[in-house]
Amino acid sequence: MDMITLTIDGKQVQIEEGGTVLDAARRNGIEIPTLCAHEDLPDFGACRMCIVEIKGMRGYPTSCTTPAAEGMEVRTETEALISLRNQILEFTASGHPNSCLVCIHREDCERYRPRPSKTGQATRCAFCSNRPDCALREMVLDASSNELNLPTLYSEYKIERDDPFMDRDHNLCILCGRCWRICEKIHGTPAISINHRGRWAKIGSAFDQSYVDSGCTFCGACIDICPTGTLTDRFARWYGLPELSWRSTCTICPQGCDLTPSVDGGQVTGTRMTAYDRDARLCAVGRFAYAQVMSATNRLRHPMVRENDELIPTDWEDAIKHVAGALGDLKGDGFLAIIDEANTRENVFVYEAFATGVMNGRVARIASNCVLDDAIADDIRAGRVKSVLTTGDHLDDEILSKIEHLFVMDCLPSKATSEAEAVLPVAILSEVAGSFRDTAGEVKKLSAAVDPPGRARIEWEIIAELAAAMGSDALRYDSVDAVTKAITDDAPPAPLAGSPRDNLKDLPSRYRGHYLADSAAGLKAMGLPSSPKPPPKEITGGFRIIKKYEVVPNFHMLTVEAPAIARHAKPGQFIIVMVNEESERTPFTLLDWDAQAGTITMVVEELGRSSREVADLQEGGVIAHVTGPLGVPIELPEKGTVVLGGGCYGIGAIYPVARALKQSGHEVIIALEACSAHTLYMAHEFRELCDEVIIATKDGSEGTKGGVQELFTSVVERGTKVDLFIAVGCTFMMRMVAETTRTMGIPLQVALNPIMVDGTGMCGACRVSVGEDTKFACVDGPFFDGHAVDWDELGLRREAYSREEVEAMPQYAGGNGTAAALTVTAGCAAKL
Amino acid sequence: MEDNKKKTKPKKVRVPRQPMPEQNPLRRAKNFEEVPYGYPADTAVVEANRCLQCKKPLCVAGCPVNIDIPAFIKFISDRDFTSAAAKLLEQTALPAVCGRVCPQESQCEEVCIVGKKAEPVAIGRLERFAADFVRENGGLPKPEIAEPTGKKIAVIGAGPAGITVAGDLARWGHKVIMYEALHLTGGVLVYGIPQFRLPKEIVKFEVDALTKLGVEIHTDYVIGKTETVDDLLNKLGFDAVFIGTGAGLPMFMNIPGENAIGVFSANEFLTRINLMKAYDFPNYATSPIRAKHVITVGGGNVAMDSARCALRMGSKSTVVYRRAREQMPARDEEIHHAEQEGVDFRLLTNPTKVVVDDNNRMLGLEVIKMELGEPDDSGRRRPVPVEGSEYFIEADVVVVSIGNSPNPLIPQTSPDLETTRWGTLVADEKTMLTSKPGVFAAGDVVSGAATVISAMGQAKIAAEHIHKHVMGQPLTTDSDGEESDADS
Ligand SMILES: Cc1cc2nc3c(=O)[nH]c(=O)nc-3n(C[C@H](O)[C@H](O)[C@H](O)COP(=O)(O)OP(=O)(O)OC[C@H]3O[C@@H](n4cnc5c(N)ncnc54)[C@H](O)[C@@H]3O)c2cc1C
Ligand code: SF4
Ligand code: SF4
Ligand code: SF4
Ligand code: SF4
Ligand code: FES
Repeated sequence: MDMITLTIDGKQVQIEEGGTVLDAARRNGIEIPTLCAHEDLPDFGACRMCIVEIKGMRGYPTSCTTPAAEGMEVRTETEALISLRNQILEFTASGHPNSCLVCIHREDCERYRPRPSKTGQATRCAFCSNRPDCALREMVLDASSNELNLPTLYSEYKIERDDPFMDRDHNLCILCGRCWRICEKIHGTPAISINHRGRWAKIGSAFDQSYVDSGCTFCGACIDICPTGTLTDRFARWYGLPELSWRSTCTICPQGCDLTPSVDGGQVTGTRMTAYDRDARLCAVGRFAYAQVMSATNRLRHPMVRENDELIPTDWEDAIKHVAGALGDLKGDGFLAIIDEANTRENVFVYEAFATGVMNGRVARIASNCVLDDAIADDIRAGRVKSVLTTGDHLDDEILSKIEHLFVMDCLPSKATSEAEAVLPVAILSEVAGSFRDTAGEVKKLSAAVDPPGRARIEWEIIAELAAAMGSDALRYDSVDAVTKAITDDAPPAPLAGSPRDNLKDLPSRYRGHYLADSAAGLKAMGLPSSPKPPPKEITGGFRIIKKYEVVPNFHMLTVEAPAIARHAKPGQFIIVMVNEESERTPFTLLDWDAQAGTITMVVEELGRSSREVADLQEGGVIAHVTGPLGVPIELPEKGTVVLGGGCYGIGAIYPVARALKQSGHEVIIALEACSAHTLYMAHEFRELCDEVIIATKDGSEGTKGGVQELFTSVVERGTKVDLFIAVGCTFMMRMVAETTRTMGIPLQVALNPIMVDGTGMCGACRVSVGEDTKFACVDGPFFDGHAVDWDELGLRREAYSREEVEAMPQYAGGNGTAAALTVTAGCAAKL
Repeated sequence: MEDNKKKTKPKKVRVPRQPMPEQNPLRRAKNFEEVPYGYPADTAVVEANRCLQCKKPLCVAGCPVNIDIPAFIKFISDRDFTSAAAKLLEQTALPAVCGRVCPQESQCEEVCIVGKKAEPVAIGRLERFAADFVRENGGLPKPEIAEPTGKKIAVIGAGPAGITVAGDLARWGHKVIMYEALHLTGGVLVYGIPQFRLPKEIVKFEVDALTKLGVEIHTDYVIGKTETVDDLLNKLGFDAVFIGTGAGLPMFMNIPGENAIGVFSANEFLTRINLMKAYDFPNYATSPIRAKHVITVGGGNVAMDSARCALRMGSKSTVVYRRAREQMPARDEEIHHAEQEGVDFRLLTNPTKVVVDDNNRMLGLEVIKMELGEPDDSGRRRPVPVEGSEYFIEADVVVVSIGNSPNPLIPQTSPDLETTRWGTLVADEKTMLTSKPGVFAAGDVVSGAATVISAMGQAKIAAEHIHKHVMGQPLTTDSDGEESDADS
């Protein structure tokens, strides 16, 4: 191809004919900022960030759409360009949650809150799962000066959780078009495009129907290419940036698609396509279910051996001894190994060698996604099979009842595991090295990237050890490569009926016989079958919800019937809530109560599983348990001026305190903070109640720019004599307030929110250090002297379960766990 | 025993104490199934036949609630298991529980006459057998409930003490309302003692029996917060109040680093696992405690339970205790099980410091070796540190299990309830009446952390006197004499 020479920023560069100016710059190490452009996408020119000046051309052409031409003189960094780009960014940011981008506390905030919070709506970067890797954020931060001159336009879209596997928050979308362009590139006809126009333009499927019905195949490309936090992988999103990723092959079905698993903390948290290419596309199972099957919490972790009719966990030494002993006695007497082909070649080979060579038995191979062959089933029924070693969930009750001796080597529990004489847990998918032959006959290398859970082990190693324990030398291999070398002839597997990468109805429904939808609940929405699950424990009694609404995004106001609590509540106290019998005990501050009506009110910020359970409740529903009022009511000074600061749920929490102060004749100044005007609530109620209400927002959209600490400072600086500060909100805010007011000589009371379990002084989970003392926040607090609190310790203790909190997040589609189960496909032996 | 039929006796004595089938220790260490399987009926009868049916049975005196041991054992010999259970229930509300968790080796079995020459009769196992048998076979017929008295009694705390009092008073015709702070009833039996030692279904069965007697149970109800004792008496019209709130306030060691991430009270560790079912996370939302190595500090039952739970959660498990093996307060069987399952014991060792990293996460425990010095008040030789013998044990979790004291929520809101300097309630040991008129107390809240059976023993006394109190009878009783007899 002919080369073109042009000059960019005074540097002579070359590019093949047909390339754009942007290509030319990038190829030569010159950075031009872009948002909508992507190397795997055709030119678009929507975001206009990549504008340049070209000698002899009018205006500011977009470099991503301008073909490079011989002799062109391009400039990328003129003052005019920088200013224009900043305007573009500012415009983009004004339609996007931006308070963290312009917040004056951002650096401290990131230091003390290294992880974004797991909220519902991402109202700012601190609440956005995209924060660790956000191109938009980086660009704005590089360009701006904490100032934003345009008003914030927050669209208040509800987060969309009704589709499997993905959470969509359209408030974050910058309409760069990467998503629908990649969908079009990969699938020809895109499942999504831009709906509506102008202010309400929003990406989505045609007629905003469910993605399941839109032709979307859940390849996940749009999620992976979206530069913002709009489109996210529900399972992976809160794990943060993976530590590493590498290339591997999906062995769930014989198609054997390449994929890129990513690992965080020794766990595979997600998989992606290896390239944004039609040929590299993945089906929903490869893209979403793979990591969820590996991470299934019911993975078999310990070898188990039956004793006194009960399966009892044991160690490997004991298990091997036991199984080798049992199998030794069964040698040559109707032994059958049932081997699921969704496995590495090495494992399958060693199983076969063992079954035939060591056990003098037979082998029944089961193609992935299939069920046991009728002929074999008949043999079992007829008693021609005495003992069975199975590697998956392929046997029904009737067949199981006919097997005298059953041994299971598998990854998940099943009917077979509960009937077996011994159950040996095995490593799967990215836990296993070896190779896989796909339907096309190609042999693909598999590498192990993480350790299996608990004590699960690699299958060929277990078998080799069993063989050795049975006195056979036949299977002595010192490495997986040695096994690979021993494989001489293996035929490619039979192809899967249909094309799962193109049609949801063709998706494989089983892995090693287990329903994939049992581990990856999202698949149920695609009509894939799953095992019946016991219903959640019924709530007897419970506390009725009289009223519930979302005051501002993520903040839910609930009024609940709890007469005894309402009779005794005092300002500053809290309650412990368990939404269901399976829930955590979670503390929430009392915002209000009405002894006469027998009701209490609380405001709950959606921040993780437990508050999400509250957020998902409906008016008229019940909460399983509410206990309170707990904690010591705040002790108030006789008289004087009290300044109360509230942020997030703390705005609600200071309300009863303010009312009590007001009733006892204090001068009360209320200082409220919010990230932006549209997330501020109850200002009106406070104005009616108190002498003065001052407001700060992080983006300056209402009141002072900043937070409670700035407001407190301003009150002191203007000469008001303050007798007491009270601050309630997130730990970060209270800490900052404590630091700011430390030298003012004014006492500060803060309401601490450590992790609690019982809330009645029984466990000590809520220990906080205040001065020299250790206190239990639930019974000694929640109010403490803010200047004496050990904030570092509190901050770290609150993070103690951050990983478990992510693991606990629900994976079902839909806000209330009502994943629509469509028709169940059933039928042929090849496709179940 | 001399006057018993001599011909059969020697033969009987030669029958050895019947072992209970148990899970293989290495296997059971990773599951939450109950450890011993319990006697099959035939074995129970063989064991029951070992009992000499002493005329002056020492075992009865050894039992804190004076169960008529020979009588219930006789019923088992006669294969009348229902009557055996009925006999037990005359003295204990929770035989299935006591049979499992009582320290029989220092109570009834310690003094059993068979035990002088051979191993004592397995009274605990027989108690458990009889109780399990009737439970599994539909329970006992509903006991008779006396005519309603019109009296209303509040029972605070749904642990063994509260359950005992509520059951007795309900049978005697009183209206009983029970208040429990947590979301489940059972007290330590559900939040502390693990499933493998006491299946929760058993506790549930006992509590359901209360409901059948007409006891009204309010969970999520913290007395001292949701309602005060004064309000119960004055506003809600109760004729008497019983406090059985246990000893639920955990003690810590007061050593540097104790607020590190990874340091738990035994209460928290056990509550997460047992009450909140963290072993079934994330089906249950409470975070489990995942650790490579868990060190439990202490030597009581609570410490043994923690150490054994740690094993079952997949961790390596070590017990650090400052005294010697013989001085461990835990039940023999529990220590034995823990050793068998592979818990590592570092005796005569005491923690001096929790070593942490930059993120306040625990890296390990610095400990010091101890040796036994002069006897202390309790008569046990006092452990003293061996200077310069400190060393480090790597571990990511330490479970502090050095004792509990009563929760102060009730005394704080009822200033006229007198407490001792250990925070326990002062109560008359003959009547269990506290310093506050109409308010009775029993169990750990009075005695400090003790045993299920002692809580129930006190509770029986309390129930009797609450009855007298509400019926307007004088509180001094003729049963006093009997009790002191039994002690001699
Ligand atoms: C882990 C562990 C293992 C043990 N092992 C043994 C053993 O093997 N053998 C043995 O004999 N003993 C054992 N014990 C001790 C035994 O469990 C206790 O002595 C016994 O439970 C005391 O009974 P209780 O009814 O006094 O108190 P608890 O069982 O503590 O019950 C008190 C109840 O009152 C509730 N409560 C507390 N405050 C309030 C309030 N303000 N309002 C309403 N409700 C309230 C609590 O939530 C609790 O449910 C063990 C204890 C523990 C912690
Ligand atoms: S996408 Fe998320 S992280 Fe990026 S700028 Fe927007 S809110 Fe911040
Ligand atoms: S969803 Fe993402 S990729 Fe699609 S237009 Fe919006 S920001 Fe761009
Ligand atoms: S998941 Fe794939 S098919 Fe579905 S909308 Fe996104 S890119 Fe298109
Ligand atoms: S249990 Fe022992 S002491 Fe009691 S009656 Fe029987 S033999 Fe005698
Ligand atoms: S939450 Fe358990 S003691 Fe405070």
